[in-house]
Amino acid sequence: MQQREEKQLESSLESIIQRVNDLKASLSSMIMKIETEYETLNWPKFLDNYALVSGQLISLSKVLSHDKCTNLRNLTVLPLMLSPERDEQLVQMTEGRITTFSYDLVPDYLRTKLEPLAEQKMMQLELKAQNLQYDNAQKQIAAYQKVVSHVWDIVNKAREEWEVEASSRGSTQQNSSVADTHLLVAAVGMGKNLKMGGNPNGQPNPTSGGMMVAPQGRPGGPPGQGPIPPSTQAMSMNKAPSAIKTNIKSAAQMHPYGR
Amino acid sequence: MGVTILAQFPVENKTGPQIIEVLSKRICALGATPQGQFLVDCETFTSVPALGHQRTVHVLHNSEQPATVFALLETGTKTIPLVTDGLFDLLIMKMISFYQSKKHTKTESKGPRFEIGDFSVKLGTVNITSNFKGILVEVEYKPCVVPAMCWDLIMEFMQGFLGSSGPTAPPAFLQNRMQEIYSPIDTIQQYLEHFTIFRKSTGPTMVMRPQQP
Amino acid sequence: MSTLGTAIDSLTAAMKCNILPNQEYLLQGSVLDQYVEVLLHRLRGLCDNVDSGPETFNDHELCYSLRINSANAPCILPLRVRRALDVTDAPFQLRYVGQPELGDKNRPTVVRSSIDMACSSTILEFLNELGCRLDFEYISRGYMFRKGRMKVTVSKIFKMNGMSNKPSEGVEAISQSYLVELSVQAPLGQDAIAEDMRIFAEQLRPLVQLEKIDYKRLGNMMS
Repeated sequence: MQQREEKQLESSLESIIQRVNDLKASLSSMIMKIETEYETLNWPKFLDNYALVSGQLISLSKVLSHDKCTNLRNLTVLPLMLSPERDEQLVQMTEGRITTFSYDLVPDYLRTKLEPLAEQKMMQLELKAQNLQYDNAQKQIAAYQKVVSHVWDIVNKAREEWEVEASSRGSTQQNSSVADTHLLVAAVGMGKNLKMGGNPNGQPNPTSGGMMVAPQGRPGGPPGQGPIPPSTQAMSMNKAPSAIKTNIKSAAQMHPYGR
Repeated sequence: MGVTILAQFPVENKTGPQIIEVLSKRICALGATPQGQFLVDCETFTSVPALGHQRTVHVLHNSEQPATVFALLETGTKTIPLVTDGLFDLLIMKMISFYQSKKHTKTESKGPRFEIGDFSVKLGTVNITSNFKGILVEVEYKPCVVPAMCWDLIMEFMQGFLGSSGPTAPPAFLQNRMQEIYSPIDTIQQYLEHFTIFRKSTGPTMVMRPQQP
Repeated sequence: MSTLGTAIDSLTAAMKCNILPNQEYLLQGSVLDQYVEVLLHRLRGLCDNVDSGPETFNDHELCYSLRINSANAPCILPLRVRRALDVTDAPFQLRYVGQPELGDKNRPTVVRSSIDMACSSTILEFLNELGCRLDFEYISRGYMFRKGRMKVTVSKIFKMNGMSNKPSEGVEAISQSYLVELSVQAPLGQDAIAEDMRIFAEQLRPLVQLEKIDYKRLGNMMS
């Protein structure tokens, strides 16, 4: 019976130590990052580290609360011998943090209760809480909840706005206009709207790369007139209104999402 | 880059290699050191009839300017020079339906080159589609870029090793631009002048000279 | 002593080894005038020439074509000349640009054959006398960025006033947007670069939509 318990204690201690070591390693790497890479460190990276640490903390507390794990609270650590001499083995084990196992350090390191000062403060607070009137407490809770929910609302609203902005940027032609792209590419690539004004009609259609382009939208022609259907208006010579139109359109598309 | 004068050397019943050997010996006797080979080549393209009146494009390369392609367009009334880079050869291939290579006109001048003081000397054997046509001697005086200022010096130097076959007057092409700053395209123009003469002639060109006693 | 090969020999050798940059990979888009600063700012961050800032240019582009109007098969060779108006001693640029090929959906960019060369200023007269016709011309002003082998230009396109002696006077912008082009000159078959371009273009979204533009469809659409 005794042997079994001992075995159980050993294995649970082992798993606890392993997890504590993991935690220690990731904490030290995080500290290292903060100290050495503070210039290039960004929030996503930092939060990744933080998530790792908190995950390890959770797994540690799971191990501690597991049924199979011996309740450490029921065990006693008894210092058998104290010595003011430097203990090399201890130095090595603690990575140079503790040099002696002496009477003035042991109470701090083997403490299982809070510090007397902190304990006193806790007691005071608990007493205060017990003496509180029920109504008062309710009132305070309500007020606190109100503040929290208000902050919650603000954060939610901000997030919504961000998302709308991001999605509207992705879906609408806010910063560029397809019509303008086509106009520019056709101009540079095929000379659309750039052909010499005095091009005699007898000449074959000026084309580039063998593509036929009708000489429509001559420079100097009356803008936005004639048989040009409204849908192609953006591509006619009447560009100034077309671009403005696009702007108004994209601005209008912003609103339905907003509020 | 200095001023370059190109002159034809009479063949007089000798073979190309013989003349080159004689001239090499002479120039080395003056203290010149051999400095590798050189090559100037020329290909000529003419416009297809559908493109209107006939025009000719000569495309030349000079190993002295290995990254450059020279093109000379002859319209019948004038010649337009163009200096461009190696990819022009690729472009001229694209022009195959507009400008076609003239048959049997691939001309080149190649041979040894020498350095002697401020001069460099090139002894070129001219071949048209690998038929020997004659000898072209090129002399460059490197410190000067204005032909008028160094013509006498170059003439004297050339006569020094070419004897009476050396030039006595500036090449026709340079005659009305003696005061202008010389550039590599001017060398090319001189080569084209000579290549054109060679192309019109049959067999190794004989330069008429008074017989030496 | 080794004899010299002709320039054509070395060109043929270069073609065989496929080291001639005769292909252009291209993506095009535009940005409205009021957002161009935002785009320039972003490009400054993304591109290589960070410390020197973007290079500005003010170029005059003349688009010629050499053509034969035969009844059965019209033959057209487009040629472009570009010259810097702001750097007067810069060489002129002569360029042949072939038909853009869209390829299938998996190909990230338009590919067109392209031969680019520097040349002397006599090129304008040379092309005129060669039988070329000037089809159109324009002024392109803007900024150039580099990112590895990629070139990004953000340019405003201006229509000429018709006075060829004063090309930069009285010009008129043809649109209220800047043309944005992302291109790489490379030998045939280096399709990996196209993928890099797609990724780079992705980083400029949604500010600029750099796309494969179908010239054929564009030609039909605008006529």
